[in-house]
Amino acid sequence: MSLPKRIIKETERLVAEPVPGINAVPHDDNLRYFDVTIHGPAQSPYEGGIFRLELFLPEDYPMTPPKIRFLTKIYHPNIDKLGRICLDVLKGNWSPALQIRTILLSIQALLGAPNPDDPLANDVAQRWKEDEPAAIQTARDWTRTHAMV
Amino acid sequence: MKSSGSPPPKRRRYAEVAGLAPTTPLISGPSNAEPSNLTFTDIPVLGSLSKSSQEPIENGSDSDPDPGFDPVVFAAFVGEELSLATLKELRDASDGDMERAINMYFDGSWKKPELARPVAATCSSRKRKEPYAGPLSVANLLGVEPVCENGVLGSMPEKRYIGAFGVAGWATRSGTNLISHLEVVKIERQKQILHAAARKTVAKKKGKKGSDESIKSLTTSRAPPTRQRKTQDIVVRFTNSKGEEVGRLQQDTATFVSTLIDQRICSFEGVCVYAPDRIRTNDTVNLQLRCYMLRSAFEHRDIRPLDNNRISDIFAPKETEDEKALRLRQVALVKLFEEIALEPSATNATTTKHKRAGILQAAEMAEQYEDSTPEVASSGESKDVSEKEEGKELEQDQLDQLYRKAQSFDFDSPESEPADTFTMDLRRYQKQALHWFLNKEKNISERDNESMHPLWEEYIWPTKDANDEQVPQVAGKEKFYVNPYSGELSLEFPRQEQNCLGGILADEMGLGKTIEMLSLIHSHKSDVANNLPSSISNKLPKLLRPSSDVEPAPCTTLVVAPMSLLAQWQSEAEVASKPGTMKTLVYYGQEKKISIQNICSTANAATAPTLIITSYGTVLSEYSQIAAQGGKRGIHGGLFSVKFFRVILDEGHYIKNRTSKTARACFDLSADHRWVLTGTPIVNRLEDLFSLVRFLRVEPWSNFSFWKTFITVPFEAKDFLRALDVVQTVLEPLVLRRTKEMKTPDGSPLVPLPPKRIIIEKIILSKAEREVYEHIQDRAKRSFAHNLEAGTLMKSYTSILAQILRLRQSCCHPTLIRRKEVVEDELEAEAAYDAAKGFSDDMDLHALIDRFSDQENETNANTYGAEILKQIRDEVEHECPICLAAPMKDMTVTGCYHAACKECWMDVIEKEKEKEELPKCVICREPINGRDLFEVIRQESDEITMGDEVDAFSQQPEIILRRVNLRSSAKIEALIKKLKELRKDEPMTKSTIFSQFTSFIDLIEPALERERIPYFRFDGSMQQQQRAAVIQKFKMYEGAVVLIISLRAGGVGLNLTEAKRVFMMDPWWSFAVEAQAIDRVHRMGQTQEVIVHRFIVEGSVEERMINKIQAKKMFIASSLGMMNDDEKRQARVDDIKDLLSD
Repeated sequence: MSLPKRIIKETERLVAEPVPGINAVPHDDNLRYFDVTIHGPAQSPYEGGIFRLELFLPEDYPMTPPKIRFLTKIYHPNIDKLGRICLDVLKGNWSPALQIRTILLSIQALLGAPNPDDPLANDVAQRWKEDEPAAIQTARDWTRTHAMV
Repeated sequence: MKSSGSPPPKRRRYAEVAGLAPTTPLISGPSNAEPSNLTFTDIPVLGSLSKSSQEPIENGSDSDPDPGFDPVVFAAFVGEELSLATLKELRDASDGDMERAINMYFDGSWKKPELARPVAATCSSRKRKEPYAGPLSVANLLGVEPVCENGVLGSMPEKRYIGAFGVAGWATRSGTNLISHLEVVKIERQKQILHAAARKTVAKKKGKKGSDESIKSLTTSRAPPTRQRKTQDIVVRFTNSKGEEVGRLQQDTATFVSTLIDQRICSFEGVCVYAPDRIRTNDTVNLQLRCYMLRSAFEHRDIRPLDNNRISDIFAPKETEDEKALRLRQVALVKLFEEIALEPSATNATTTKHKRAGILQAAEMAEQYEDSTPEVASSGESKDVSEKEEGKELEQDQLDQLYRKAQSFDFDSPESEPADTFTMDLRRYQKQALHWFLNKEKNISERDNESMHPLWEEYIWPTKDANDEQVPQVAGKEKFYVNPYSGELSLEFPRQEQNCLGGILADEMGLGKTIEMLSLIHSHKSDVANNLPSSISNKLPKLLRPSSDVEPAPCTTLVVAPMSLLAQWQSEAEVASKPGTMKTLVYYGQEKKISIQNICSTANAATAPTLIITSYGTVLSEYSQIAAQGGKRGIHGGLFSVKFFRVILDEGHYIKNRTSKTARACFDLSADHRWVLTGTPIVNRLEDLFSLVRFLRVEPWSNFSFWKTFITVPFEAKDFLRALDVVQTVLEPLVLRRTKEMKTPDGSPLVPLPPKRIIIEKIILSKAEREVYEHIQDRAKRSFAHNLEAGTLMKSYTSILAQILRLRQSCCHPTLIRRKEVVEDELEAEAAYDAAKGFSDDMDLHALIDRFSDQENETNANTYGAEILKQIRDEVEHECPICLAAPMKDMTVTGCYHAACKECWMDVIEKEKEKEELPKCVICREPINGRDLFEVIRQESDEITMGDEVDAFSQQPEIILRRVNLRSSAKIEALIKKLKELRKDEPMTKSTIFSQFTSFIDLIEPALERERIPYFRFDGSMQQQQRAAVIQKFKMYEGAVVLIISLRAGGVGLNLTEAKRVFMMDPWWSFAVEAQAIDRVHRMGQTQEVIVHRFIVEGSVEERMINKIQAKKMFIASSLGMMNDDEKRQARVDDIKDLLSD
C-alpha cells in the first residue's frame, strides 16, 4: 500500500518547518511509524525533560486518529504506566482536519496543563488532587530521572 | 417522306422508317379500320389508351409528300442536312413552297405556325420521335398487307383466331325471331365509356393551353372518373345480324370480356347456339364466342412504359391507372385462357407453381387497397396515394438480410485499369468496380441468350377452330407469348436478357462512388466520342436549328445530384481528369439558357461537354415545363431534348417514391446507360428498390404490376423468404455494393481504418448502490431457484426476465429501479428541507455573500460563512484540511461553509456512517447532512454553451455552489470523470454516449448539465426531422460536444465520424449490437483512433453478460428472426441460468 499524499506532505512539513520543542521522524522501513520527542513545556514539572513517544498512523488515517504512546516514563494524571494518553482529540474528538503536528502540540499542551478530573492514571490523579505540590514534585523527579539523559 | 430516298446517313432510324414508306400509302386513313370496324364502337377510347395505334394512320395520311418540295434541293440551298422532321415541318409551314420554306428556315418563322396547330403538330411530332420502332412497331405490322397463300398469311393479320367458348347471355328485350340458331351475333361494349373518353380528351386539350389551367382541369376532373371506374362498367351487349340489341352477357363472362375488348386485346364474334323462338326479357340465350387476338394487343410492348406518360398530363396519377389497367388485363387473360382451355406449350418450371394463383392474389390485394382507400385516389396529391399503397416497412433484420444478399462481392473479380486521361489512383476494389461497370455498359454477358424469359409463357396458335375447321395460319408465326404478370403479349420470342446497360452502385458512403463513376466516364466513351480528333478544337459550337426530336448526345454524361453536391461533383471531376480531357457544365439557374440539344449534339461532338451536372430540381422543373407545353421534349432544348450517352443519379434514394414527380421526371430522362448511386438502395421499403429499377428500365422488373406480383404480395403475405429471394435475383446482376466492413480474403479491410481501442472500465458500486443491487439479485436468484424446482421456468420467464432487467438497471443507477412515486415523494421532502435552509441545487456565490453580509450582525456562523465564500470568490488557495492537497480537488463546502475536496468529504461521510456515527464537519464538528455538500463551480467566461440552450446558460453566474448529488451513481460519476478529463486534455474532441435505457439517459442529462458539458440527445421518440436536425447540430458544433444516443434508435445507420470517443453505458445481450453502435463512429471517414469505454460494473450481472452471454451470442442467429418464439425463449432461459449462477 502506497503512502497517501497527505502523510508524505505532513512528514515533509514536519521536517521543513519543525515546531519548537517537538521532533518527529519516520522510520526508514515504515513511514507510518514515527519516533517523536517532545520537550517538556517551560514552567511545568516537565521542563527540561525530553520525552520520547512513538506514533503510528493507522491504515485509514486521517479518517481515524494516529496511535500515540509515551515511551519515556512520565508522572501525569492523563498518561498511564504504559504511556497511553487520555486526550479527547485522540479519541472521539478526532477530526481528519487534525494533523500529526497539531496532535503533538496538543500533547505538549497537555503536559503544561494536566487534567486530573479526567484521569487515566487514577493513582496519579488522586495524588494530584489531594496534594498537588507533592505530585508536581514527583513529576519533576521522574522527569529528572527518566527524561534527562 | 417517300421522297427522302437518301436520308441523312447518321440518322439511321429514319432510314428504317423511310424504308417502310412505300407501303404506308396502302393505309388510306382512319376508315382503313376495315370490316371489323363496327365491332369497335369504342375506338376513340382505345385511341386514348394506346395512342400508338392511331399514329400509323396519320402517318399514312399526312406523310404524303408534296411533289414540289424536294428535300435534296432544299438541303442544297440551306447548306445543311436537316432531319426529316424539320423538313416536314418546313414543308407544312410553307405549304410546300420551296422558296418560302428557305426564307422561313433562315428567319425562324417556320416554327410559329406549328404552335398554332397544336393537335396536329403534337401528333406528328410525337410520331416522329418514336425512334424505338423496332420490328414490332405498328408501322411494320400495318405496313404489310396480309397476303394469303394457301391459307397461310405473310404476317400477323388484324386479328387471329385463338379459341372459342360457350357463354350464357340474358335477353334485355322481348320479341319473336330476334335471334335464331347459328345466327352470328356481334359482341359490343356499352357506349357509356365514351363519356369518360370524351372527358379525357377535353382535359388533354385544355392542358395544352397552359400548365395552370391543366392542373385545374385535372384536379377538378379527376375525382369523378376514378369513381366511375371503381364501379366498373362491364356491360357487354350482343346484337343480332340486323344490329338490334338482343341482350347482355352474364356478369362473370362480361367481367373479363369487357376488359379484353376495352384494352383492344381481343375481339369476339358470337354464334347463337340456342335461343327460344320467342324471347322474353331475362331469358337465357346460349352463345358460342369465337375469340380473336387483335394485332393491337401485341403492340403495347416497348411503347407504353416509355412515352405514354408524357403524352397525357403529367400530374395525373398515370401510373396507377396504368397499373390498374394492367391488373385487369392480367386477370382477363388468365380467365380467357381458362375458358378456351389454352395451355402454354412452354413455361418456366420454377415459376409455374405460383403463377396464376399469384396473379389473382395480387389483383385481389389491389382491389382491397382501392376499397379501403376510396378517397385517396381522388385527392390531388399523388404522394398520398403512394403512401397508402407502398408496402410495409422492412424490419431492420430483414433489411440486413437483404443487404447481405446483395453484398456477395467477389474479391477476386477482375479489375480494369482506367483510361490514361483519368489521373487518380484507384484502389483495387475500385478497379474491380470499373471492370463491372464496363461489363454492364458493354453488355458483356455470359448468359445464354436463347432461353425464354422465365416469366413468359409460350402458346401455340390453334390451327383449327372449335368447329374443327382450318383457321388461317401465319408463316413463321406458329406461336405467341404471354407474360401473365405484366399482361403483355408478344409475337416475338421473349429472350431473357439484361437490357439495362447500367446498374446500381450501392457502395457504402466513403468508398468513393463518385471517383468510381468518374473513372467510368473516362474509360468508356461512345464511338462518336472515341473517333473525335484528340486535340480539343477551339471552335465554337455550331449553331444548329433546334430539332423537335430527341437528339443523341453521344459524348455527354448527365449527373443528377442534390443541389448541395453540384459543386463537389464539378471539382472532383476536374481534379480527377487530365487538363483538357473533361469539360464540365453545371446546368443550373443561369446556365439553363443554353440549349443542351445544341451543344451536345453529334454535330458539335468536338465541343460538347463531357459532363453536365444538374440538380433534381432542375430535372423536375424542365419536365413540368415540357408537360405544360404538351410533351414536346425536343423543342424545349433542355435535358429532355437529348439522349445522353449516360445518366447518373447521385443519391438515388431521392427518387425512392416511384409516384413522386421527381422520380417520374427522372424515369423519363433518355440515355444509353443509366446508373444510380446510393448508399441505401432500400431505405425502408422494398418499393424503394422498385423505383430505382424503374429508372434503370430493367425489364421486366420495371413493371410495377410485375413487381407487386412477385415481391410485394409474397412479402406482405409474410412469405419473406420467397420475396427476398426474388429481390436477390433482381439485385444480384444490378447492384454492386461493398461496405467498409468487408474484408479482403487476406483479412485486411477494403479501406484501412484508424485503430479502435475498446477499454472496459470496471465500475465499483458505492456501498449504497451495492446494497440495492444485492437485494435485487437475491430476490431474482430466489425466484429463479423456486421456479426451477417447480418446473415453471418457462411460464415465469417474463417475470424473471423483468427481474434481470431491474438488476441490469440497478448497475446503472439505483433510481432506475425504484418506484417513481417514492422517488418523487423523497424529492418533495428534500425540496421542503432546502426551502427551510435556504439551499438549492445551484447557488450563486455572489448572491450568497450578499445575503450573509446583510445578516452580519445576527449570526457569527454566517459571517464566517461569508468570509469563507469571499475567500473562495477571490480564489485564495487553501489546502484541503483532509488530504492537504492544494488547491483542493473539486472544492466542496458543507452547510457550515467549510471547504475540502469533494472526495475527502465523501470519505469522511462514509467512514462515519460505517462507524454508525453522525458525520461531522472536520473543522467545526457540526453534523453534516449528506445532501448539504456544495461543490464550487467556476465558469470560464468564454465557456461555450449548447446551441439551443445558450440563453439559459449565459445567464448563469460565474461561480456557483452546486449540490453534490448523492443521487448520482458510480457509473455516472465515472462517465463524468472521463468526460472532464477528456475535455481538459482534448478540448475539441466530440464523444458519443450510448445507453439502451432512455430512463438512464434522463439521469445522465442532468449530470452533464450540472457539469456544463454541452450535449445533444437522440432517441426513438424523436421525429425524423428532429433526428436529422440533432445530428446536423452535433456535426456542426465547434468544440467538445456530447451526443447521447439511445442504442435502439441510433445504433444503426448514423454516421458520426465527427466523434472520436464512444462511451457504452450498459452492455447489450449481443455485442454485435454494441459493435454496430461503435461503428457509427468507427467507420469510413474516421481519421483518428477511436477509443471506446465500456462501463461494466464489477462482480455484477453485467460482467456475466459480457463474459458468458455475449461470447455465446456470436453464433446465435436469434436476432435474425431465424428462431421461433419458443426457441428464443429456451435460449433466453439458458441465458438466465448463466446470469444468475455464479
